Parts: sequence; structure tokens; C-alpha cells
Amino acid sequence: MFNLLEITSDTWTTVGIVAAIFAGSALLIAILILVVGKVFKVNVDEKITKILENLAGANCGGCGCSGCSGFAAKLASGDASLGDCHVTSPEKKEEIAKLLGVEITHEERTVAVVKCHGGAENCGENFEYKGNPTCAACNSLLGGNKMCTFGCLGCGDCKVVCPEKAIEVTDKLAEVDPDKCISCGACINTCPKHIIERIPASAPVYVACSSPCRAKEVMSVCKVGCIGCGKCARTCPHGAITMKDNLPVFDYTKCTGCLKCVEACPRNIILKRGVATIESDAPAVQQQENA
Amino acid sequence: MGTMIAIILAGVFTNNFITVKTYGICPFLGVSKKTSSAAGMGIAVTIVMVLATLVTYPVYRYVMVPLKFDFLEIIFFIFIIASLVQMLEMIIRKLSPALYNSMGIYLPLITTNCAVLGVTELVIGDMSQFLAGASMNVGWAVLYSLFAGLGFTLIMILMSGMRERLNYYKTPKALAGFPTAMVTASLICMAFMVFTYIQL
Repeated sequence: MFNLLEITSDTWTTVGIVAAIFAGSALLIAILILVVGKVFKVNVDEKITKILENLAGANCGGCGCSGCSGFAAKLASGDASLGDCHVTSPEKKEEIAKLLGVEITHEERTVAVVKCHGGAENCGENFEYKGNPTCAACNSLLGGNKMCTFGCLGCGDCKVVCPEKAIEVTDKLAEVDPDKCISCGACINTCPKHIIERIPASAPVYVACSSPCRAKEVMSVCKVGCIGCGKCARTCPHGAITMKDNLPVFDYTKCTGCLKCVEACPRNIILKRGVATIESDAPAVQQQENA
Repeated sequence: MGTMIAIILAGVFTNNFITVKTYGICPFLGVSKKTSSAAGMGIAVTIVMVLATLVTYPVYRYVMVPLKFDFLEIIFFIFIIASLVQMLEMIIRKLSPALYNSMGIYLPLITTNCAVLGVTELVIGDMSQFLAGASMNVGWAVLYSLFAGLGFTLIMILMSGMRERLNYYKTPKALAGFPTAMVTASLICMAFMVFTYIQL
């Protein structure tokens, strides 16, 4: 049998042979990798890198993709629409639309709202919670200590994840600052109660309750919760409100902001949104009219 | 049959890679924060382990030993495993983008994983205690590496499940996070210590 080490007794020759073995096998493997690389070549679309450059790069995950790179790939393949990104500026979106060769549809800016108004003074507690101060931990214990199953737990998980620091928790109730909100959806995905929702930034009113329970159940746990009486739907002169699951659902395209529903609500749970918010959204509304 | 059962039990329990042999501790502590990523890592390690053994065992047995350069085994195995993982990544990327998205990020991490190198080194060493008189061959080597990988995955999933649950508990500030993970790891290892005394 051929024996590498017996044919030579000289140390340096042995080293040379070992080096030759390595050089040889390295060459072999290099060629192999080269061949595999050629055979299994993946064509990376140049469009994707260009789209990625124009995206905001927040990697917030609000579009449902793992990050901006994932969203760029989906955009290029046509599986996603530009409207899914709420962070990228309109100018950059136009650039991307040019790259994709599609018409940009101006979509109105949206903001997140916490659909609960049951702070500590309105909604009581079933028990005293002394665990880890996160909503996820509190919720895992009998669904939290709020008497209402659909109420804000007020531990501020949404405040922690908010990249823009737009959420404040006062009196066990989270509130989103609509001027700072970029509508990335981080809080919406985090909230264990799923009571944070997107509404148009120009929406004049919203219902601050998420409880689908009937009047008696709501009244026994919360002083302000929506009892699903439907008075707002009957009052609305524009037919913008429909009742679903004991809660009013607003059609903001029909709502004119007459505030008749706010006056009609016996529980005062339909809240008027701040004037400052609507002013700051003036350009967004204009965009919609242009389009 | 006896040999097969002995090898399976050895891979998963008595000679578990993490708890008994303490190989692959970096992914064990680093990628065990979420069950989904821990399972992905475990499956990726298992696949690479099997493929690596499938290539390195014949190379060692039929090329390196006859040509008498088997003393270069470690450096040669690293060589083979690194290039193998590289090629595997390219192939997966082309053939199954979905699989690449879920598993691809772990593949480069495994290139220099000690668990993978460990299994290739173990199967060429003295395995007589599990083989019960049968002689070692490629089949047994691959079987052992497959179940060693599954044992690795089992511990990864156990650990990540515990760490996920531990997030919900209030721990003293000095112990929160990584120190708790170390304590959890030692408890898992102690629990698996009991299998060491089973004579196969």
C-alpha cells in the first residue's frame, strides 16, 4: 500500500507533501463550489436593492414582513402594495413607484388609537396584580386583572415597543399621540388584548371601547364602556355608522364630522378627536383630493 | 436491532451532545430565546450533521486511512464541513427560497459549530460501547449523527420553552436574562445526568 510517510524520512519533505495535499484538495473544493455556485445561481433583482434604498429603513415590521428587505422583495414581485408601508415618505414612495412602473395612489395617513377608555377610575380590578409589570405577563394570568376582559391592562407593553415614543400610559390607560404616531403597527402587534387599531388621521370621532359584550355585562364592569344600544347608528344623518358585535363601526369615507353621534351617545364613549390632529393632517387630506 | 436501539438511545439521551458532551453550547445559549428559532437551529444542525458524516466518514475510511494521512483529520474535516455548508446554502437558496428564509440564516453559523465537528470526530473514534460487537460502517455513523442531531434539537426546544416562560416571571435584577439562562441550562444538564448511568 502506498504510504506517504514511509517514502520520505525528511521532515521538510513531509511538510511539503502535507501542503501539497491541502493545496490539491483546496483546489478541488474550490472548483466544486464554483460549479455548484454556477449551477445554482440565484439572480438577485437589481430592482430590489434600489427599492430598498428608497424605503425608510425603519425595519418596524408594520407591513407584516420581517424587515424592509423582505418588503422590498415582496414589492418587486408584486405581492405587496406601497400602501402597506406607513413609514416611508411620499417623495420616496414616488421614487419606488417609478421603479415599479405603477401609479402611486395617495393614501391617507393613518394613526393608531387605543380603543378603550376604561382607566382605573372607570373600570375596576378583579384582584391586585403584583407580578412582572408587562401586559403579556398580566394577561397570561386569568386574562389580566381588569374587570373588563377587553380593557387596556395599562402595563405599557405598547409604550415599550413604540419606536416614536408616541404612547403614554396615564392612570392605567395607554394613549397614542396622533402627531407622533407613524402607524408602524408595533403596538398593534404587541397588545395582548388586541384593542389598538388604525384609523385615518383625519377621523373626527372614534369609539373608545372594544367590548363586544351586551349592555348588562358591560355596565357591571365599566362605567363608560359601549353598551351597543345603537343610538349613534340611528342618529347619524349620513349613515356612516353600522352596528357590529354590539359596537358601532365607522365608515370614515361617509363621516362628515357633524359630531351628532358624540352628543347622542348615552355613555359618552364616542370620543371627539383633538383639533390639533386634524390641522396637522391638512396636507394628507389635500393629497387625497389631488388623487 | 440491539445495536440500532443502543445508537439511538446514545445519541438522544445517554450521550446527548449538549447536556453530557457539552458540544454546541453557543447555539444552546445564544439561539434559545424563542422556540421557533431554536427549532430552526436544531433542524439545521441535524441536517448538516448527517450530511457532514455522510461525506467525512467515507473520506476518512477509504481515502485518509489507506493513504496514511489520517493524522490531519481535524483540519481536513473543518475544510470539508465548511465547504459543504457553503454548497448546501447555495443549493437550498436556489431550490427552496421558503426553506432558505426560515433556515438559511442559521447555516453560516453552523459552519464552525463544534457539535458538527464533534459528531464527525466521534464516529471515526472508538464507538465499540454502542455497537455491541457489530463493526462500524457508514450506516451506523449516519444513524448516530442523525439521532445526536435530534437530541440536540430536543434540548434546544426544552431550553427555549423554559426561557420563554421565564420571561413572565419577576427575577431579581442581578439574575434577570442571561444568568437565569445559565441556571436553567445547569438544571437541564443535571436532569439529563441520570441517563449517563444507563449501561448500553
